[in-house]
Amino acid sequence: MPGALLLTVLLAAEPAPADVAAGLPAVKVQDLHYGDVLFHFYQAEHFEALVRLASYRDQGRLAAHARDAELLRGGLWLSLGQHREAREIFERLLADPATPAPVRDQAWFYLGKVLYAAGLFEDSERALRSVAGELPAALAPERQLLLAQGLMYRGRFDEAVAVLDGWSGAPEWTAYAQFNLGVALVRAGRAERGLALLDGVGTLVTENPELASLRDKANVAIGYAQLQAGRPAAARLALDRVQLAGSQANKALLGAGWADAAEGGYRTALVPWLELHGRAVQDGAVQESYLAVPYAYAELGAIGQAVEYYEQAIASYDAERVRIDESIAAIRAGRLLQAALATQADGRRGWFAQLADVPDSPESRYLYHLMAGHEFQEGLKSYRALDAMAKNLTTWSASLGAFGDMVETRQQALAARLPAAESRLASVDIGTLNAGRDALRARFEAALAQRDVTALATAQERAWLDLLDGVDAELAAHAGDASLDDAREKARLARGVLMWRLDEAWKVRSWEAGRSMRELDAAVYDARTRQTASSRARQGAPERNAELGRRVAAVAPRVADLAARVESAKSAQERYLADIAVGELQAQRQRLDEYSVQARYAVATIYDRASAQGSAP
Amino acid sequence: MNGMHSMRMTIQALLVQVSMLAALAPASAQEAAAPGADRSALDAEVQELRRQVVDLNRDLFMLEEDLLFPASTQVAVFVSMDTGTFFQLDSVQIKVDDKEVANYLYTARELEALKRGGVHRIWLGNLKAGEHEIVAFFTGQGTHERDYKRGATLAIDKGVGAQYVELKISDRLRKLQPEFVVRVWE
Repeated sequence: MPGALLLTVLLAAEPAPADVAAGLPAVKVQDLHYGDVLFHFYQAEHFEALVRLASYRDQGRLAAHARDAELLRGGLWLSLGQHREAREIFERLLADPATPAPVRDQAWFYLGKVLYAAGLFEDSERALRSVAGELPAALAPERQLLLAQGLMYRGRFDEAVAVLDGWSGAPEWTAYAQFNLGVALVRAGRAERGLALLDGVGTLVTENPELASLRDKANVAIGYAQLQAGRPAAARLALDRVQLAGSQANKALLGAGWADAAEGGYRTALVPWLELHGRAVQDGAVQESYLAVPYAYAELGAIGQAVEYYEQAIASYDAERVRIDESIAAIRAGRLLQAALATQADGRRGWFAQLADVPDSPESRYLYHLMAGHEFQEGLKSYRALDAMAKNLTTWSASLGAFGDMVETRQQALAARLPAAESRLASVDIGTLNAGRDALRARFEAALAQRDVTALATAQERAWLDLLDGVDAELAAHAGDASLDDAREKARLARGVLMWRLDEAWKVRSWEAGRSMRELDAAVYDARTRQTASSRARQGAPERNAELGRRVAAVAPRVADLAARVESAKSAQERYLADIAVGELQAQRQRLDEYSVQARYAVATIYDRASAQGSAP
Repeated sequence: MNGMHSMRMTIQALLVQVSMLAALAPASAQEAAAPGADRSALDAEVQELRRQVVDLNRDLFMLEEDLLFPASTQVAVFVSMDTGTFFQLDSVQIKVDDKEVANYLYTARELEALKRGGVHRIWLGNLKAGEHEIVAFFTGQGTHERDYKRGATLAIDKGVGAQYVELKISDRLRKLQPEFVVRVWE
């Protein structure tokens, strides 16, 4: 019996999914677009991050982070559950001899994780053990956990224990591994070692709500295992450690009652069982308490109360069966998923707290219990993914119409603007500009070579020079006239002063002129580049527009085709989930039938005994 | 006595049920079966669809950018920050040629992403070739929770290719002040 119990009690637990690539080292961004991907990735927007990463990669915008980006891409595929794509990327990175050691180690780790998720535990272990250096702090404990669990699934418990014993990291990770290993050991018939491991988790001191929930689960597992082993006191000890408001509370209360009852403490057993009695009847533990309470009263000799509670139980089971039938009808009518999608349950923490508050309607009443099942959870996750895909495709479908209009409008505008643009471009003669610049440069270089200070004279100085040339010419015409000697001297002096000034300014002016020449070169170059670019743009514009039109036209059927396939998969997934839910509810209904028969039988037995003794119960 | 015997049988039956009940333990996120043990055809279909939807989104993302923001006129403005010790960012406003093009209020989650090395593409737009002025206003809290508003201006000469501008908020340790650096990426 303990074996049978534990096979069902002890289920593997996993920590809430962490960011798949959260352990990536902090990257000093060298490509802004890589930073943009990280911006979405760090906000757990994995789909958006992956789309941007794939786009930027194809656009060649991630050159500086090529390998980091590949590692991240693999991690993002993995986080979306696309193991094949993730595996291909990690294997490609590992096959590349240029991949640096830290990236290689992380690729081994993620490959190990992918293989583990695919159930290929030997390959996974090999990959995880290929990590040669130190992994980032966020990944190292997960590696240990994966190693231990992989060994555990292969029945190599002692090695799994050794892996965990060697771990001295944060308890957040080891607690899950300890729990799972404890479970596996108990299931393998090594109860003592298994219970010791479970006890380690059951006595954890933690403020972390997730760990507190795991602690509860460990204590419930210990409690039921000890109960089955005929050690009610040890069972009670563990069950008393379970939080009263947690998701395990009902099971713990029921077990605590059984522990008391096993030691003959029916009166004390009534305390937890009556507490359960007031709770929501769709819970299995509560349903069982409806039988346990009258049983305890009967054992205490309070036969009247026992009958009363058995009758209450029968009525409650009948009412519950009606409600289950209503729920089955609601699920068949397709209302279950609306209720499920209305909750924000995404597989992370908070599911159960949130589900405890869902409206008590036929479609949502049993969500809490359905979501406890792995198969339903996984199915719902896929349904949510399909729903998100459908919404994404609807949005794109609307945008594509606008894209088509845009291409058409642009084609019309281009046709209207092209003649004017061509005429403006034609009016700019780059050849003349070049020739003018070249002539100017020749004059400047000649002046520099001959140190012709007059070449850089200002307009005023130029006028003075011209004036002096005129005066000199006039004086030369009257070369023999001694009365003009004084004027000659003044003209000579004036030219000397002017030349002195020009000479003095030469250095500064020649430097400034050189700079102006360089600016002119740049301006001419810009003009030429822009003209070439404009000309190319003008020539390529109709082709580019046509190309965009072709791309819009080509992508539209892809969107339509995918949308149809997603809708069909959604319907199939919906049917699949409804089947699981209905199957589960039918099993519950059958259980209630059995409980009801047991209650009726117990009442009949009491009446038989009473009539045999000649008294009313 | 026969009745009591039956009752005990009932208890035994109940305990079996207890075990069934415990199997529904909500804390177990995973089935007892090993991971990867069951992959239905439906799961395979979902995987295939997701791969194709990601590929399609990639193509559409690039198509949208090519269509709305062709490289010849594209300008993108990015916001990045380091530890943010001296400045707690609230919002960033961007003006291009005196016209407001973006006014973004950051959530705590986004700020955390920025501090971890993420870079936010705050504006993607089109500008003609030539001179333009980009002004960014950063609003937030400085040291001692004092309201803080700073502006940074950048003159860019838009060429024929796409142009990227980074607005970086960093800590200037020597002055215990935030620093706002504007950088144009080639």
